[in-house]
Amino acid sequence: MTGTFPHPSHDPAPSLESVFESSPKSSDSSPVFFADHLRVLRGGHPILNDLSFSIESAGTMTGLLGANGCGKTTLIRTICQDLPHSGSCKLNGSVLEGLSVRNLARQISYIPQQTGISISMSVLDVILMGFHPMLKLFEQPSAMMREQAYTALCQTGIENLADRDYLTLSGGQKQLAILARTLVENTSLLLLDEPDSSLDFPNRSSMLRLIAETTKNHNKTTLVCLHSPDLALQFCDQILLLKDGKVSACLHPKTDSDEQMEKAFAEIYGPVRLLRISKNQVEPDTQDRLVLLLL
Amino acid sequence: MRSNRTSLLAGISSLLVCASFFTAILIGKYPISLTALLAVDRMAIRTFWILRLPRALMALFGGFGLGIAGFVYQTIFGNPLASPDIIGVSSGASAGAAFAILFVSSGIVGTTVFAFVGGLLAVCVSLGLSALAPGKSPSSIVLAGIAVHALAQTILMFLKLTADPEKELASIEYWIMGSLGGVTLSKIPFSIVVICLCSALIFALHRHLLMLSVHEEEARMLGISVGTMRMALLFLATFAVSAVVSVTGLISFVGLLAPHTARILCGHNRRSCCFLSGTIGSFLLLTADTLAKSIAKTELPISIFTSLLGAPFLIYLILAKREEDTR
Repeated sequence: MTGTFPHPSHDPAPSLESVFESSPKSSDSSPVFFADHLRVLRGGHPILNDLSFSIESAGTMTGLLGANGCGKTTLIRTICQDLPHSGSCKLNGSVLEGLSVRNLARQISYIPQQTGISISMSVLDVILMGFHPMLKLFEQPSAMMREQAYTALCQTGIENLADRDYLTLSGGQKQLAILARTLVENTSLLLLDEPDSSLDFPNRSSMLRLIAETTKNHNKTTLVCLHSPDLALQFCDQILLLKDGKVSACLHPKTDSDEQMEKAFAEIYGPVRLLRISKNQVEPDTQDRLVLLLL
Repeated sequence: MRSNRTSLLAGISSLLVCASFFTAILIGKYPISLTALLAVDRMAIRTFWILRLPRALMALFGGFGLGIAGFVYQTIFGNPLASPDIIGVSSGASAGAAFAILFVSSGIVGTTVFAFVGGLLAVCVSLGLSALAPGKSPSSIVLAGIAVHALAQTILMFLKLTADPEKELASIEYWIMGSLGGVTLSKIPFSIVVICLCSALIFALHRHLLMLSVHEEEARMLGISVGTMRMALLFLATFAVSAVVSVTGLISFVGLLAPHTARILCGHNRRSCCFLSGTIGSFLLLTADTLAKSIAKTELPISIFTSLLGAPFLIYLILAKREEDTR
């Protein structure tokens, strides 16, 4: 159980709905997240070049795809307000630029490629870090927060690892622990920078399934940077294709035609073929699966 | 299970500290006994108040401060080799003490005040320089510390060159070797208050300290003001170290060994581990001081014993841990 990812739909763990509030739904027609003309320079060279995009509604997962050096990680870090930039980011109508570190952490959760925890601490202590923006300077996590942390561990299927030293976990278990920490942070925007990078083939799929389920069940807005177009096509509601620091295409796998998507992928990867596998061939999935082949 | 083990370790270390504290009070060139103290023997009482109690108290609190400060440094820099020396506090204090011996007075008060100011000045310059550097990463603190350390060493060398080899140079060298021999009751209240205050604040901010061990970008996204909190905790730790070394002279190895030992014994970095690091520091310094004042006819520098006691124990712990890992 601890070596692999649980399937959320089969997870007997208690629901988080009782302890974690869902993010507010956007009441009007304005996008829940809007990146407006982002521009980042490095050594005089634009890494993000007047990049704009929007995410229309909460509860959706947006994938970022593109070749190495196209600006995926830079975009994530820019939204995290970690890089000097021009342009602005709006979340639920509020501008993120100029927010204090604490207020930013109350709105955005970030999962890096590999977490930077380098000293021994228990998995529970790692999860409790997620409550930091809610605590005062000398305040300690309350009993209720510990209970919530344990519930998040149950949700991600690693409750039996609560007292284990985080450094002794496998790559997959570490990512699950960080995802559990993200759940207790209870923010409306999740930013994930290649969360599957240290995982093997089946666990990549399970991790993204868990993120997709979390996004829907808790009405989060998720922006995830990926390398695999197949996983993006399977789990994301919207895919942004990045090229030369710009959004070259914005795809919606459930509604866009195969030709339209194939053409957009060819723009960044070269000649490709998009194969559609019927839902009858991929039980128990309830939708067709799309696979991108490089020619 | 692990918390039970940590409580047991904290209990054992506290008992060891108490035992070594009373041993340090009773043993010395003029041994005093409990019965002599209870019988209000004048000589025993005078020895107790003037020589033993201040010295034992300084070793107790000084060791605790050095242990806690080492824990802070090793956690922030994520490096078991990090110690307060890394940002130049020792060399700054040495230069300050040498300046006092040469130009102010070789008396205890002058040396203490100037050593404290020297140590603190070195820390302020190191942290100030690193704050000006773009990125404000831990590596810029280390680089600034190396530069300040080199500068302070140069000043110290220059001061030594101008010192009278018969008197002043010997005083400087003896101060650098470290000793609790010159500790009096009037010298310790300031140091003890500083150590207690800094340690209390470090304990209170322990949650933030743990978060500083995480990569900067990730810690920031968890809502911590990395630069400010790192500076604050480093300042508290170094302030405590300055308060110790200004009275005792340089004491090597305690700030390095105590937290490392505590971590190996506890297996985590919780507040209890931080406390254990302090008690191990106290035990080490009390024992080293008892040996330094009683083993030879003349009093020996305390660093000889902190290193002699600490190094084999550290090697044993590393080897024991390795065996455990491969089992």
